[in-house]
Amino acid sequence: MSPDTLSGVRDALRLTGLSKTFPGTRALVDASLDIRPGEVHALVGQNGSGKSTLIKALAGYHAPDPGATAELDGKQFDLGHEVPEGLHFVHQDLGLVLELNTMDNLALRGGFAKGAAGRVLWREQQDRTHDVLRRFGVELDIHRPLGEATPVQRTVVAIAAALQGWHGGSGVLVLDEPTAVLPHEEVERLFAMVREVQAAGTSVLYVSHRLDEIFEIADRVTVLRGGRVVATMPVEEVDARGLASLMVGADVDPDYRAPVASRPRAPVVLEVRDVAGTRLRGVDLQVHEGEVLGIAGLAGSGMQELAYALAGRPPAAITGRIKMPRRSPRWLDMRDAGRLDIPLVPADRGREGVIAEFSVGENLSLAVLGRLGSRGRLGHRDEDELVERWSRRLEVVATGPEALISTLSGGNQQKVVVARCLAQEPELLVLSEPTAGVDIGTRVAIYDLVAGLAREGLTVVVSSSDLGDLLAMCSRIVVLHEGHVAAVLAADGLTEHALVRAMEGEERVDDAA
Amino acid sequence: MTQPEATTRVSQPTAATPPTPRRSAPARRLAAGLAFDRIGAVYVWIGIALIFSVWVPDQFPTAATAKQVLNSNAITALAALSIIIPLATRVFDLAFAFTMTLSGVTAAHFVAVGSPLSVAVALGVLVGLGTGLINALVVVAMRIDSFIATLATGSLIQSLITMATGDTPIQDLKLAGPFSKIGQTEVGGVTLPVLYAVVVALGIWYLLEHTATGRRLYAAGFNPEAARLAGVRVDRLRFTSLIASGGLAGVTGVVLASMLQSGSPSAGTPYLLPAFAAAFLGATQLKHGRFNSWGTIIAVLLLGTGTTGLGLASAPQWAANMFVGVVLIAALAVTGVQRRATRRGGGRERLLARMRRRPED
Repeated sequence: MSPDTLSGVRDALRLTGLSKTFPGTRALVDASLDIRPGEVHALVGQNGSGKSTLIKALAGYHAPDPGATAELDGKQFDLGHEVPEGLHFVHQDLGLVLELNTMDNLALRGGFAKGAAGRVLWREQQDRTHDVLRRFGVELDIHRPLGEATPVQRTVVAIAAALQGWHGGSGVLVLDEPTAVLPHEEVERLFAMVREVQAAGTSVLYVSHRLDEIFEIADRVTVLRGGRVVATMPVEEVDARGLASLMVGADVDPDYRAPVASRPRAPVVLEVRDVAGTRLRGVDLQVHEGEVLGIAGLAGSGMQELAYALAGRPPAAITGRIKMPRRSPRWLDMRDAGRLDIPLVPADRGREGVIAEFSVGENLSLAVLGRLGSRGRLGHRDEDELVERWSRRLEVVATGPEALISTLSGGNQQKVVVARCLAQEPELLVLSEPTAGVDIGTRVAIYDLVAGLAREGLTVVVSSSDLGDLLAMCSRIVVLHEGHVAAVLAADGLTEHALVRAMEGEERVDDAA
Repeated sequence: MTQPEATTRVSQPTAATPPTPRRSAPARRLAAGLAFDRIGAVYVWIGIALIFSVWVPDQFPTAATAKQVLNSNAITALAALSIIIPLATRVFDLAFAFTMTLSGVTAAHFVAVGSPLSVAVALGVLVGLGTGLINALVVVAMRIDSFIATLATGSLIQSLITMATGDTPIQDLKLAGPFSKIGQTEVGGVTLPVLYAVVVALGIWYLLEHTATGRRLYAAGFNPEAARLAGVRVDRLRFTSLIASGGLAGVTGVVLASMLQSGSPSAGTPYLLPAFAAAFLGATQLKHGRFNSWGTIIAVLLLGTGTTGLGLASAPQWAANMFVGVVLIAALAVTGVQRRATRRGGGRERLLARMRRRPED
């Protein structure tokens, strides 16, 4: 019923009356979506808003409740049962086989060039692969396993794979959180590709948690909340705060900063010297009691390696010295940092954080099992009590401690991982990418939680590629550039622009005492 | 009058499932405990017992058959239980069957040469622990995939056995002496190995269910990376789990040699597949995808009852193997279907994502 349909321009994709009922919940309620030809249409909503269900219905995984209609370029199709040729999908996990090379990955989707008796014509296959990649401006050794490629290269290959046999013109490309695992500075390359697809006349349905991206790339935006479409509008008509408020259903400030006091005079709780490893080239660092110290840096700066090394869990060999003055005045070798029992909230929640087959309770108690019960026997009552206490403290939303962790939203899973760390009652906590794939409501909840913990005396180290995280949470930010400390910045009054400049290594600043 | 009625109807939740009648908490727990997807194998077992009771009414439903099922499957149960601990951490010990043989041959040899019984038995078990240690070194320290590594060590163990025995069983009158009591003494109609199996099952149940180590074993199996980052010493658990399976396989091998009254150079091999079949079938029972001891016992009894029944019904030779194959595929397919139905959202994708190894940053 948009003015365009009345004036005769056909929508690229039109969904109406889309509902989906799962036992116990209605994931989508009478949702409608219209995507105009050649537009980038953003789809936003918190975890559990029905975004994934909508995408999965489009991709044919879920059959919607009866009554839904769907049209692609004016042709009706049976939603949930068939996927018309003009719909191209890039799912969040990209759907690539990382052990295989680029050529094989493209061929798995687009088919192999075959000769007589089913023999694969490798020469021709190679030429085809090069053509596809050249079209999107990707420089990549097509014979190396994709696991060796950078995240943005993988994302681009996934999009190329989805668009095989596509010649521009009508159709819709669906990108489901394509930037979830991308470092911020590489997002531009992805956007260039999206714009190219758009310029060829194909519409893009763009799903993302990152509001800044939406204002940069999208023409219109549809907001889902609790399974219902609450708004569809041009992005010019809304700002970040308005969009966030629509998603959450209450007033939310995306530029929120948690109130954390800077504490340069507080005693030092952790000190490291000459930390070097895969990326790190000699880093010295002091962490003061009750501060929230940020670690910023571009991909490859060693930001993540430093966070893992501080917690005694470096991804590879590491050298240097570490000291916790309160525990012992002696320096420890970095390799023995694990003995300091500093808990870590890992960057990749699915792979490193939660144990999907475990319940909420089992995930929460994992790091403190030794303290529950006595003489080797695991005290189930102690465990229940611990789980209850920490779930309540962090406001974990779950049907109960016995619920499988995989039934929780990303944000709640993250809370369980944080609770697991806090249950160890540490002096210092390390967080790596604490808000990756977490919706804006939970994000603010995590910011507040960290601020509250810092006020109670917990010292927190946060490494994040999301500058919003660092600016919102930290009292001091250490900027890494190519393995060295490039700057130490006081977060008070720091602008995103100044932080980005420091990350790019443009100037060496040391303005924080 | 119609107006309020209409509003009440609208406010009714439109859930897909009809509202379930309220039941008391114990009743609900009982119902959940007896659910088909939890203990499906028990129902199948009862079904099989009924079928054979009708098929061979004068032979099957007797106390003798029950005893036969228990006594003839005790070794299978012990063998299956010995691989449960490494399997919980997703480590395969394919060498266990060869370890059984080696331990049996060792114990038989020392009994035959006149060593005291306790020394012979201790050496048999020690040899099992030793092969467990070798497996642990190859799998954990050398970082070779356990499936291939234990296939290789198993082959090496078998070659060692053949070399030492010249491929002839160790036979001696002394083996029929006190040594045979270990596996052949009857207590209340069942032989001692049945009791051993119960004791081992109890021990493993306690370890996996009621100790921190057990929980960590499962965590290391499901997601080793997450477990490691949460402070679980995954390598150490895998190392000790292989030593544990070696030791248990050693015990099983000694018991088997006592039952056979000989040190056969191929005694363990027939137990390789049944043990894994029982362990995997057992993992579909009670604990939803976790290897566990009572599930394994149920699986051994189910498979054992079926094959015993087929024997009594004088079914052809191939029927027993076919039965095992069909039951396994059916059990895994049914639980797979249920898993898919109960999971929704990202479960499947996450599972697929985990199967793909991602490189370090």
